[in-house]
Amino acid sequence: MNKSLYWIICRIAALMLVVITFTPLVMPAGTHGPALWGMPYTLWTGIIVSILLVLLTFIGTRIHPGRKNSEEQ
Amino acid sequence: MIRTLIFIGVIYVGILITFSLIFRQRQKSTNSYLLAGSKLGSVLGLFTFAATLFSTFTLIGMPDFFRTHGVGSWIFLAVSDAVMVFAIIWLGHALREKARNKDFKGLSGLIRDCYQSKFAGYVAFFGAFIFLIPYVSIQIRGISIFLNATFPESLPTWAWALSMVVVMLIYSETGGLKAIIYSDVLQGILLLIVIWIASFVCISYFGDMQNMFKKVEQTNQALLSVPGPKGLFTTQFLLASMLAIVMIPFTQPQVVTRIIIMKDQRSLFRMAVGVGCFAIVIILPTLFLGMYGAVKYPDESTAGFINKVLIQDQSESVAAFIIIGLIAAAISTADSQIFALGSELRSLMKGDDKKVMPITRVAIVFFAAISLIFSLFSSDQLVLLARTSFAGTALMGPMIISGIFSEKEMGPVVPTATLLAMALFVGSLLGLIPNSLLGIRLDITLFVLLLATASITYYVKNNGSLTNDSEEIKS
Repeated sequence: MNKSLYWIICRIAALMLVVITFTPLVMPAGTHGPALWGMPYTLWTGIIVSILLVLLTFIGTRIHPGRKNSEEQ
Repeated sequence: MIRTLIFIGVIYVGILITFSLIFRQRQKSTNSYLLAGSKLGSVLGLFTFAATLFSTFTLIGMPDFFRTHGVGSWIFLAVSDAVMVFAIIWLGHALREKARNKDFKGLSGLIRDCYQSKFAGYVAFFGAFIFLIPYVSIQIRGISIFLNATFPESLPTWAWALSMVVVMLIYSETGGLKAIIYSDVLQGILLLIVIWIASFVCISYFGDMQNMFKKVEQTNQALLSVPGPKGLFTTQFLLASMLAIVMIPFTQPQVVTRIIIMKDQRSLFRMAVGVGCFAIVIILPTLFLGMYGAVKYPDESTAGFINKVLIQDQSESVAAFIIIGLIAAAISTADSQIFALGSELRSLMKGDDKKVMPITRVAIVFFAAISLIFSLFSSDQLVLLARTSFAGTALMGPMIISGIFSEKEMGPVVPTATLLAMALFVGSLLGLIPNSLLGIRLDITLFVLLLATASITYYVKNNGSLTNDSEEIKS
C-alpha cells in the first residue's frame, strides 16, 4: 500500500472519530456512568477521543503525501 | 504578595522590553516587522500558536465554563481543538503553497489575489475586523475584571483595561511580530506551570480526583453529563462550536499567519502535533479548577470565582505568578490579534513600505482603541463571546478554502454569499432575525449553505475549465 492510501484511511478514521463523538457512545444524554478513575463517562471517553485524534494527527504527519515534496526544498 | 508580585512583574516587563528592543534593531523590512522573517521553527511555532489560541479565554473562561456547564466543556474545546490540529495537517500544506505563490502579506490580500477581486479581499478584512474585535475585547475584559476583583481598592476596571492596551501597543509597535512570538513562548510556559500548580491545590482539597467527582455529584449531578445543568451542550451547539473552532487556523488572520510563517512543512507538522498535546495538557487543569469551583463556589460571579480559586486559595507566591501569567496571557493573545488586523490592512494596500507602514502602525492603534471601548461594555460570558467570534470568522471558511484550492478565478458569488451570511449572523446576534431556522441553528445553516455554494462554484469553475482544456488539447 502506498502513502496516499494510508493517508485516505487516516482521514476516514479521523472523520469517524468525529461522528462517534456526537453519538451516545461518547455523549449519552443525562448519564454519567460508568466512571473511570472517578471520571464521569463523557469526560473519559472525550479524553480518549482527543488523544486518538492527536495520535492520528501524528500518524498523518508521517504519511501525508505532501511530506516528501515539501515546499522548502 | 504585593512584594512578590512587583518583583515578578518587574522581571516580566524587563524581559518584554529586552525582546522589543532586540527585535526593533533587527527590523529591516515589512516582512521582518509583520511576518517575523517567515522562518519559524517548530518549538517557537508551537508556543506562539498555543499562546495565541489559549489565552484569558482558557485561563479564566474555561474554569468558569466547567463550573457552570459541566464536563461537556471538554467536548466543546478539547475534542474540537484535536480535530483542528488534524485539519492543520490536512489543509495547511495547500494554504502554505498558495501563500508562497501569491507573495503572502496577510489573509485579506491572499484572498484578493486568489479571487482576483478586491471585493473578496474586503470581505475577508471585514469579517476579520467585525469578529476579531470582540475576541480581543474578551482578553482585555477578562483580565481587567479579574484585576479589579483582586485589587478592588487600587484601580477601576476601565483603568486596568487602558493600562493593558497601552503596554500591548508600545510592545507590539516597537518589536513587531518577532517580539510578540518570543513573548508568546514566555507566556505559554508560564501559563502551563501556573495553571497546573493551581489545579493541584484544587485536587488536594478533595484528597484525590475520585473524591472530587463524588463531591460534584452530590452538589450538582447534571454537571457530570451532557447537556449540562443549563442544557447548553446540545449536539447542535457542540457541532456548531466544533465547526467554528476547526476553521480557526484558516479564517483567523493571526493564526493563518503563524501557519504560513513556519520554516518548512516538517516544522508545521511538528507544531500541529505539539499544539494538540498542549491543548489536552492545558484544558485538563481548567477542568479541575472548574469542578473545585462547582463544589466550593457554585453561586459566585465569574470574577469572584476566579479571584477565589486563582488567588485567595493559593499561596502568595503562586498567586503572584498566576496574576503575571494571566496578564501575560491576555497581552500576548490580544497583541497578536490587533497586530494581525494591522497586517490585514497592510495586505490590501499597494505601495512601498515607507508609505504604507506608518498607516499600518496608526491602524493598529485605532484597532486597539476600538477593542478597548468594546471591552468596557462587553459581557462577562468570555467563552460564549469567544465562541461567537470563532463562529463569525468560520463563515469565511468555505470562501477561503475554495479560494486556496481553486486554480481558476472563482468569481464574485462566494464572496457575496459570505458577506450576506456574515450580515445575517450579526443580525441574529443583535436579535434582528431569529437565531435558528426550522429548528436548526443559524450558524450551522449558514455554514452549510456557504459550503454548498463554494463547492458548486469550485466544481463549475474548475471542472468546466478542465473539460474545456482537455477538449482544446484533443483538438
